[in-house]
Formats: sequence, structure tokens, C-alpha cells
Amino acid sequence: MGFTFVSFGFIFMNSLKIQEIADQRFADEQFLHELSVQLRDIQEPLEAYLSTFSSSSLSQLLFATETLREALPDERPIYNDFSELMRRDIYFLMDTYLLRVDLLVDQKRGRKVSSYTQGFEELSILYNYIVERIDEVSLRGFRNQLGEYRNFLVLFRKMQMYSLLLIMLIMALAFSILMKNVNTISKPLFELSGMAAQISSGNLDLPDINTPSVKEINHVSMAFNDMKKSIAHYIEELKKQKNIEQQIMTERVRNLKMEQLLKRMELYTMQAQMNPHFLFNTLNTGVQLAIVEKAEKTADFMENLAALFRYNIREKKFFVSLRHEVEGMQSYFNILKIRFPHSLSLIMDVQEELLDRYSAPVMVLQPLVENSILHAFKDRERLGTVTLSIRYENPFLRISVKDDGVGIPEKTVKALLTPHTHDYQLSSKVMGLENVIQRCYFFYPDEQNVIEINSNNDLGTEIIININTEVEPCIEF
Amino acid sequence: MHRFLKIAPLVFATIALFLVVLTLRLMFLSPFVSPREEDTLKEKSFHFAFFLPSSQYPFFQTLKEGALNATENMDCSISFHDLDSDPLSLDMVPYSGVDGIGIYAPVDDEYIRKALGHIAQAGIPIVQIENEVLRDETTFFIGTNNFESGKAIGSLAEDAKLGLLNIALIYSDKNPGFLSEGNLVEMGLVTVLGPRLNHLITDRTSSNPLDGERLTYELMLEAPSIDIIVLTNPMDTLVTVQAVIDLNLVGEVQIIGFGDDPTIMEYIEKGLLLGTIVRNPHRIGFSAVMALQEISTMGYTSAYVDTGLSVISPKTIGRIHD
Repeated sequence: MGFTFVSFGFIFMNSLKIQEIADQRFADEQFLHELSVQLRDIQEPLEAYLSTFSSSSLSQLLFATETLREALPDERPIYNDFSELMRRDIYFLMDTYLLRVDLLVDQKRGRKVSSYTQGFEELSILYNYIVERIDEVSLRGFRNQLGEYRNFLVLFRKMQMYSLLLIMLIMALAFSILMKNVNTISKPLFELSGMAAQISSGNLDLPDINTPSVKEINHVSMAFNDMKKSIAHYIEELKKQKNIEQQIMTERVRNLKMEQLLKRMELYTMQAQMNPHFLFNTLNTGVQLAIVEKAEKTADFMENLAALFRYNIREKKFFVSLRHEVEGMQSYFNILKIRFPHSLSLIMDVQEELLDRYSAPVMVLQPLVENSILHAFKDRERLGTVTLSIRYENPFLRISVKDDGVGIPEKTVKALLTPHTHDYQLSSKVMGLENVIQRCYFFYPDEQNVIEINSNNDLGTEIIININTEVEPCIEF
Repeated sequence: MHRFLKIAPLVFATIALFLVVLTLRLMFLSPFVSPREEDTLKEKSFHFAFFLPSSQYPFFQTLKEGALNATENMDCSISFHDLDSDPLSLDMVPYSGVDGIGIYAPVDDEYIRKALGHIAQAGIPIVQIENEVLRDETTFFIGTNNFESGKAIGSLAEDAKLGLLNIALIYSDKNPGFLSEGNLVEMGLVTVLGPRLNHLITDRTSSNPLDGERLTYELMLEAPSIDIIVLTNPMDTLVTVQAVIDLNLVGEVQIIGFGDDPTIMEYIEKGLLLGTIVRNPHRIGFSAVMALQEISTMGYTSAYVDTGLSVISPKTIGRIHD
């Protein structure tokens, strides 16, 4: 804007200057015109004086010549300009003219007719020449002035054009800066609104808004970014809390189920204890009756049966000594041996000292042997051999029940070795092999190899219970 | 859009800055702020008036340029006057405060001779350019020695052909410098050619630019044995060459021209001209002002200054181009 003022100031100063030049030209022109008029004022009375010899003409002539003489400048510098040179020529020519006028007056006074007649003719030529010269200088000055004026106009128009363009450019510049600033403010606001929409739709995984803007908008952006992070953090915390609550609920349900199972087991146990006591007493009565009737084989059978019942009824602990467990298993096998005297064989590979030193989960050997007899030797006519082996391999106590039966399919082995809880109401085989395996997992949850099953088709099955003697069994509920 | 908004202020600011610079330059270079040196008035000590023919031939234009160039470094100003349209100015010289005059006077003009007499009588120095119409103690001559010009023409004519030569020497009112002492040109010609110059015809064209063509036709009809036509003016040279071409006499009639117009140089290259005589008008103008300045300051100068001439022929035109 300042520059525009400067340019207009420049134009104004130049217009003053052109006025000054024009004034000077007009003054010069006026001066030349006055000289021309004064020259005419001499020429006319001179002619009158020469023709009439009147004193009034002479006085008029003398006054005019004196006026012209005084008007002519004394200083006549030579300049490198043709108009100035012509002007200087005019002054000298006027000097000559005045001298000749004086000469003519003298000749008139002296009555030198031919001389002043000839002289007047020459003076007229000089007069006309001077007037032409004055006209020429005026014309030239006018043309020069027109040229200067034209130059000024061209310059003026150019300046006007440049100023106009400059104003337009400054307006465009101001508008573009304004738009840029507006964009600086609106862009982050637009991003904020977009982010708000995303957050409202649940998408919190968004990059932060970092578009630089004015201070206030930057603060809003930072606050919005912090808010987004806070919301994400709270939602994450809520999710974690929800997971924990879900885990607690799951655990609680599991505990409830377990409690339910325990109660049910207790009920079953109590029910089971009622019948075995009656049966046990009955069997003792039968044993005594068999002895009275001297039926030794029957008495032996019933005695073993009674021993098995006694073992089942009396042992309410989760872990019993190996000896009791082996004796229980032997009673069971003796009963079966009486039934199948030629088709079953039990091989005992047990170190005696281990029987009293270590204990094992109750009721594990009898079900394993029962499993072999019921399934391994099913539909078999030849002798089936069951081998019980108990060894100590520090720190593991390895209890192995091996048969030479038909073996267990691999799929069944995999299913059996999968730890799970079992609903007794759904399966009647819970007291069998599966019961033993799941109880082992129950007592030793951290021992992955507490139970092993090695089975080959038609070559038999070996079920090994590995009890880590350094690990306390998990018997607390 | 965003990218445009980013660069737009920069673009507009750059253009605005450029416009500001342009406007400032316009301001400071304007004649109102920085007047040109030639527009500023310089005071000088002497005023010389030059009287030249009204001809627009480049010869006189260059002469004027030479004179003006001289005033730039000398303490004098010059004014030019048209001798043809404004002869009265010459009469007024004794009364107009002029310190000296230079004049390119036509031949045999009694009016001019008389005016120069008056000027000389008033004690105003006169430098006569190319043509000396008045010989006086106050007059000086600047120009080319016509005898030397005749010798140069003769040397060009020597190569035209073997044996005797019939030459037509055409003077012109358009270049009166040759006319004033025409006999000197012829003397120079004779000096070089000697007995080989069988016949020399002289004639003269008017100031009409096309008069040379007419004269050529007449010459060819009246004197068909002419071997060489010598012209003393560029315009006559151009129209004569065209006339010779039209008459189908190229080769049979040789032409020696005058001046160094581009068309004349082209004719030399094509072999249509035997050669051309070139005077140095710039040097003539410069020397004239210098002589007047010397007379005004020191009271004397050389009475005769030869500004020289050059001859351009097909042999030397290559050097001119170089």
C-alpha cells in the first residue's frame, strides 16, 4: 500500500514537473511573442516615419526600439540545443535589426532616399526572417513540449497500469494469506470432527491430530488427543476387569460343580457303605456256614470276597499304603481266579520294602486289573497274564499293570489321557480305567506324565502310574 | 487446493515484488528523474552553423553524425541549415552571432558565392566541404582530393580489359564535390591510364535520383563503344547497373561506382561492378568541426585537409567483410 502511495506521489511530482516545464515553455513562448509584437511595433511606425516623416511616428519608433533593446537579454549563452541556438540567433538578428533601424532613421534625416529605400527593403527581409525564425522556434518548442507531454503520458499510463496491477496483486496476496490462515484453522477442526465421528462409532485406533494451527486450536487438538487416549485406556481397563470377572465367574461355576460332585460322591459313598456292610456281614455268615458245612473252596471264595468288601468299605482315605492297595487287588484277583482257574495268571514283580514305605491313591490297582480282565482278555480262550510291577526310580514310584491282551486302540488311548471332569450321571464306566486316570490327574495336576499307556494291537497294554514322591498330592478342596 | 493455498501467497508476493522492482526501475529511469545526457543543456563557447544540401543521401546523414560526434568532445555547438530550402539563413550568418560555418556548396552558384563573400568579409571562418567555391584567407577546405579520386578510378579501370579504353565519366549534381574541380578527376584518370585512355566522355546527371538510368540509355545509343562507365554518386551507380543489365551489356560495359551502399557491395560481389570509390563522410564532418574549433580557439588551421578515400573491388571486398 505504501508503495502505491509512492507511485502516486511520483506521478504527482512528475505532473508538477511537467506543469513547470509547460510553464517555462509558455513563458518562453510568451517572451518570443512579445518580442515579435515589439518588432512589429517598430516595423509599422518605421514604415510610417519613412513615408510621412512624422514626429509622432518617430517618437513611437524610438520608444519601441528602446523597449525592444531593453527586452533583449544581455547574456546569450550557447547551448547544445538547436532551439536555444536559434533563440540566440534571433537575439543577434534583433540587435542587427535595431542597428539598421537607427541607420535608416539617420538616412531619413539625411534625406538619403536611395539608401533608406534600399535599406528598408533589406530590413523588411530581415524582419520577415526574424518573424519566421520566431515562429519556427515557437513551433519547435511546442513540438518538444508535446513530445515531453507524450512521454509523461506514456510514463503516467505505465505507472497507473503497474499500480493497478500491484493493487490487484496485493489484494490477491491478502486473500490468499487469509485463505491460508482460514485453512490452518479449519483443517484441524475438520480433522477433529472426523476423529469425533470415528470415536463415536467406536474406533479408537486413530492417529493423533498434529496439524499445526493457531495456539488455541493446537490446545484443543492436544486435549482431544489426550481425551482419545484416556477413553481408550478406560475401555482397555474395563475390558481387563470384565475378563477378570468372567474368569472369577468361570472359577465359581467350576467350584460349584466340584462341590456338587463332591456332595454327590459323598452320597454315593454313603449309599455304597450301607450295602457293603450288609453284604459283608452276610458274607461272613456265609463263610462260617461254608466252614460248618466243610465247603472249603466256597469258604475260601467268600473269604476273599469278604476281604475285598472290607477293603472297599474301610479305606476312606484318598491315599493308602501300597501294601493295602496290593492286598485289595490280590483279593479281587483271587475271586476271579476261583472263577477262571485256568485262564488267568497274575505275576507280581513287587519290591517288598516299597509296600510299606510309599502310598498310592486308593482303588487304582483293582480297577486296572479289572480293566485288563474285562477288556483285554475278552473272547479269549488261552491264558491271560497280568503283571503287576512296582519300582522306585528316584524320585518316581512306577506302578505298572501290564497285560498281554488285545490292546487299546490309539484313539481310545488319546481320549483316556485327556484330562477332564466327568459327570457320573452320564457314564456308568466312571469307576473303571477312566476313573483311575482322571483321579491321578486330579491328585497330580502339574505332572503331565503321571499316567502312561503303552498299547500295541494284539500285544497287550501297559498302564504305568508315575508318582513323584517329592510332590505332595493335591488332596485339598 | 491445500497445496495451492500454501504456494499462492509466495507466488503473489514474488510477482508483486517483481512489479515493485519494475515500477521503481521505471521511476528512476524516467527522464523526469534521470534525464538523459543528450537532453541536458550544456553551455558551450562557440556556435558553428553547417549548411548542407537538402539531400537525404546517407553521405550527408553520416557527415552530420560525424559533426555531432565532434561536438560531444569539443567546446562548441552546431546547427544544421538546409541550403536548398533556406538559403536566406546563409545571408543572415553575419548577423546571427555564429562563430563559424561549414558549407557543402553546389557548383557555380553565384548567390552562394556572394553570400560566402559577405560572411568572409564579416570575418567569420568558413570551412568548405568537398567543394571549394570561394578561395579566401578566411576559407578552408575539408574533403577528398579529386585528383587522387581520378587516380583511384584509373587504377580500377586498368584492370577492366587490355588495350585501349573508352571511358564515360558521369558527374552528378547529387555530388557536386566532384564537379567543382572536375578536371582534377580527369587529370588523375589520365595520369594513371596514359595512352591507354582512348576516349573520355564526360556527362552530368541532375539531382533526380533516376536520371542516371536515362543517361546510360542515351550513352549506349550514342556511344556504343564505351568500355567503362564511371559514376560519382551512389544512386546513379545503382540505376546504371540496372540499365546495363536491362540492356544485356553485362561484361561488355564495365561500371565503376561510387559509395558503399549494401546493394553496391552486393553488385561488386556478383561481379556487376568493377569497383567503387568510397569517401569517408563521418571523417569529413568530424574534421570540419575540428577545423572550425581550431580556428576559433587558436586562430588558424590547415587550409586544406584531405579526408582520404578507399577503393573497394572484388579483390578487396573480402577484407571489408572481415
